[in-house]
Amino acid sequence: MAGATLELESVTRRFGPVTAVDRTDLVIEQGEFFALLGPSGSGKTTLLRIIAGLERPDEGRVLIAGREVTDLPPYGRNVGMVFQNFLLFPHKTVAENIVFPLRMQKAPRAHRDEQLKWALSLLRLDGLGERYPNELSGGQQQRVALARGLIARPSLLLLDEPLANLDRELRSEMEVEIRRYQKQLGIPFIYVTHNQEEALTMSDRIAVMRNGRFEQIGAKTEIYTNPASAFVATFVGHANRITGGIAAIEGGYARIDWGGGSILAPHPAAARCGSGVSYFVKHEDMEIHGAGLNGKRQDGTNQLAGTLRDIIFKGQTANYIVALPTGEDIVVSGTPRAAVARPNDAVIVSWPIDAGACFPREDA
Amino acid sequence: MTGMSLRAASRRRPGLRFAALVAPGVLFIVIGLMLPLLAIVVFSFWRTQSYELYPDWSFDNYRTLFGEAAYRTFFLRSLVTAVLVTAICLVCGWPVAYFIARHGGRYRLLLVLLLAAPFFTGVILRIAALQGLLGPVGLINMGLNVVGLPPIEALMYTKLAAGLGLVYLFIPFMVTAIYLSLVNFNFELLEVAKINGARPWRAFIEITWPLNWIGTAIGMVLVFIPCLANAVTPRFLGGPEATSLGMSLSGQFGETGTWALGSAMGVFLFTVSLLAIFCLAPTIRLKRSGFTGASL
Repeated sequence: MAGATLELESVTRRFGPVTAVDRTDLVIEQGEFFALLGPSGSGKTTLLRIIAGLERPDEGRVLIAGREVTDLPPYGRNVGMVFQNFLLFPHKTVAENIVFPLRMQKAPRAHRDEQLKWALSLLRLDGLGERYPNELSGGQQQRVALARGLIARPSLLLLDEPLANLDRELRSEMEVEIRRYQKQLGIPFIYVTHNQEEALTMSDRIAVMRNGRFEQIGAKTEIYTNPASAFVATFVGHANRITGGIAAIEGGYARIDWGGGSILAPHPAAARCGSGVSYFVKHEDMEIHGAGLNGKRQDGTNQLAGTLRDIIFKGQTANYIVALPTGEDIVVSGTPRAAVARPNDAVIVSWPIDAGACFPREDA
Repeated sequence: MTGMSLRAASRRRPGLRFAALVAPGVLFIVIGLMLPLLAIVVFSFWRTQSYELYPDWSFDNYRTLFGEAAYRTFFLRSLVTAVLVTAICLVCGWPVAYFIARHGGRYRLLLVLLLAAPFFTGVILRIAALQGLLGPVGLINMGLNVVGLPPIEALMYTKLAAGLGLVYLFIPFMVTAIYLSLVNFNFELLEVAKINGARPWRAFIEITWPLNWIGTAIGMVLVFIPCLANAVTPRFLGGPEATSLGMSLSGQFGETGTWALGSAMGVFLFTVSLLAIFCLAPTIRLKRSGFTGASL
């Protein structure tokens, strides 16, 4: 048997004139934590519902564990799912909620009890079995939903923004826990979210989705450091965007004329001399220096002069907001202790010419 | 007491404000419902002669009611009719309510209002209209006559016709009660059930039915109790074979003028209705109905 747990072949789903999912191919391997990242309306939830069998694709095929399930109803697929609003059965106790999938499979009682005990202890719900969902906290409800999704050992667990309704502290705690369960059980998780931090924290691979298509699929570090499009560059991480035109191509670099300055950037594959480009540099790739550096050109870096407008202290890091002579702001992220300047001081922003990514300007 | 002083008083004693808010309703119920009911209970132990009530306390009326075969037949007929009509309304009403709640979309409100359309006219008129449909010179049988077929005798002044009339009269209550429950039901739970391995029917039994049981039970009570006491429908549609206890009861207060016996019948029907509610009550467990709130 092939190792792939899930295969999507050219899956398409339209709602009237809107194509929610557009000829999407995807292969999910055994034991993988996969995140579908995209803004709302990008089609990620529709794609998840197609995998679950709650929506039928207009075109394409869905295969789970090598078996074609495109036309199978959800109850034939052996897939677990966890929802944003928990969706526990309010009239059933925690224990009844959790064993529901096993009861539907007509599993023997002894097996059910054993699995229930396992799930309760895995998700630290011991002693809550007789409670009703409305007697639990949000975090506990979400863990019950996870237990219900996992108890039947599905071949795939789908999670639709499961942490969106939890408060921040609980969310970061659950992020770590969910990843731990996934690694412990080896069941592939497909995790839908619009929150890049969640996707980056938890997953192994990320697909960035937009307008029903994948903009980029890859390992999360790859997505983060080598965005494949301007959209991915803006959506993942925090980046400064500089738009300009290519003045010259020098070796592997493009010289971008911009607001009186000129910047060297990695050469975009599709751009020719004279074409407009958007150039993205992550906040943390930039460094800030006192004005004393001015004039001392360092090899292999770009430099821009500006005025430090404000420092936004964030704890572990601080964001330095630098106003450029052109009137634009650039954000530089650094350690707060590295503060070399105070607001209104003249500063230099520098970054390696290999950092950042350059894309042909999208005409919009 | 002026408004100001009442407000001042209620601030001092919240009990007074509560009393002021509750009193009109309580008074209305006591005067309009409890007193007549009490009067009926008292009358049922009295005696009527020549259209006059005499306070001679005895169990004679109940002895007559339970002793005479005719009354027993009337009661059993009423009971069986009420049970059957409730069952038919339940089976026919659920899909209608479900359809409106689930697929009504923007026409949902309109469809629900249409359920109330029959109420724009009085009961008698509606029953008369039904007579015009089912009776010997009604639409159905005249239509059959025109195409040369014999009339359907079962529809002409029979128990079946009376039962159909009752279903027609009371099904809106059933549909409305179930609908009101279903509009508060989170249909996403069905998707969850299906993902977790439940087939559609199983999902209905596990999720939809228990979570809408209170609404359904209310619908059943709303149909069963008036059906049990109904007098008008069998009178107009039922013919001689369909006399119900309610019909006989209204006779006691009307033509025969035996108020005391009629009161005993009323007390008996009231007791049976209460019994029916008590039978249903244990099935209603608030936690098991999800009443304490979905997790949304």
